[in-house]
Amino acid sequence: MIIDVHAHWGPWFFTMDVAEANHATMDRYGIDLAIVSATEAVIYDAPAGNRALAEALTDRLYGYVTVNPRRLADAERDLAAYLPTGRFVGVKIHTDYTGSPVTSPQMRRALELVASYGVPALVHTWGASVLDLARVCEEIDGLRVIAGHMGADGFRHAIEAARACERLYLEPCWSHFPAGRIAEVVAAVDHRQLLFGTDATLIDPSSAYGAVAAARLEPGVAELIAWRNAASLFNLEIP
Amino acid sequence: MFDAGNLIGELEVTLDIDVLVGAHPDRDVPRPVLDVLGEHPIRHAAAASLRAALFDVESGNDEILARREFTPVAAVDLRDPIGAARELERVAGLGVRAVRLFPEEQGVEAGFPSVRHVARRCAALGLAVLTGGDVRRFWQPLSGLGLDVVFLDTHFYHLGDFLVAAQEEPGFHTSTRLLNSPDALEIAAAETGASRLLYGSRAPFYEPLVPLLRLATSGLKPDEVAAVAGGNARRLLHP
Repeated sequence: MIIDVHAHWGPWFFTMDVAEANHATMDRYGIDLAIVSATEAVIYDAPAGNRALAEALTDRLYGYVTVNPRRLADAERDLAAYLPTGRFVGVKIHTDYTGSPVTSPQMRRALELVASYGVPALVHTWGASVLDLARVCEEIDGLRVIAGHMGADGFRHAIEAARACERLYLEPCWSHFPAGRIAEVVAAVDHRQLLFGTDATLIDPSSAYGAVAAARLEPGVAELIAWRNAASLFNLEIP
Repeated sequence: MFDAGNLIGELEVTLDIDVLVGAHPDRDVPRPVLDVLGEHPIRHAAAASLRAALFDVESGNDEILARREFTPVAAVDLRDPIGAARELERVAGLGVRAVRLFPEEQGVEAGFPSVRHVARRCAALGLAVLTGGDVRRFWQPLSGLGLDVVFLDTHFYHLGDFLVAAQEEPGFHTSTRLLNSPDALEIAAAETGASRLLYGSRAPFYEPLVPLLRLATSGLKPDEVAAVAGGNARRLLHP
């Protein structure tokens, strides 16, 4: 069993054609379930993308409600509409596309809103911003956040962030795969805070899968990362 | 779980185009490169010296020429185009077939006169060029000279730029290292032919497993996979 907690559904603006590729991409790597956000929602129009995604989810694709921190009225409507369906299990917030750094006031309000719904938020992090996310998470009661990309090249900051906030989780996806990155994080962070994410269908799962495989994890740790922690965090029923 | 060996199957890399010897003083000491390569089905590698790239070209190139286990790739220092031309003459006389450019490590931009100067000298000497740097910029000074070039840092975000440049330059090739979207290899093979794609690991600084996995799970035909895994590199470096 593998659960991908950082995936997307929909087209991208690069030289690629992956809008219909979710299941085939997952099958190549034995990924059973993915939690996806709509690319349209992340990049351009959150309500339109969330609406389209609600029609596209399958028995293998759970959804993130994408929130634009600059459009919180839209966010409240979407959270109220989609979370009760049970097919949407968390919130996605991209800091760059929305011009909303983790430290911005609108991001704090968005995360407070997410916390009020009791679902986890996947937040894009890069470099040292993962430390900011840990600080904000500590200040908002009950909030659980996933540091998307675990800071990418800032993975050592991600280690520090996860140690500072037990409600902050790390997932590793990145198109780059420097040697030893995963092993270093796994050695330094509580294994219950580690998840598996790929960024598919933007990035092929080979990047995260290969990086994790290269870390040669103990079977029990691999199982936590592959799915047990995700199933618990998102309250997913696994047969 | 995370069983990369099962996915890689019988795939073997017969010539890895992107291996480095030495260390970056601003990064952690890497694992011994032969240990890393030995853990993967990589039978042979073309390697360049970081000593040459970062400090002293002549002693660094002599270091790599003495490593008989590798196909030697010379380096030049783009910060010294006069010395670079001299070193190109020297290594060509020693039988070297390819030179590697390190523009990012040396703080050199594509528009600097030294890049075009070195490109002209490589063309005159019949040397293939392996280059780092952003393909959207470095295509230009390497064009119009009939050069065989391998862009080592082509990211799938920039695949379209590589493809349109390669249409006009039959000698343009790219490493597959960062072509890790779900369909970049397939698009490139369809647009330019798989003969333009070369496996490169950047061992010991990147995880060789990732581009191995991407190639092994690609939609390329077996003869195309074999070409990417070393046949194309052998054509360039061992004509």
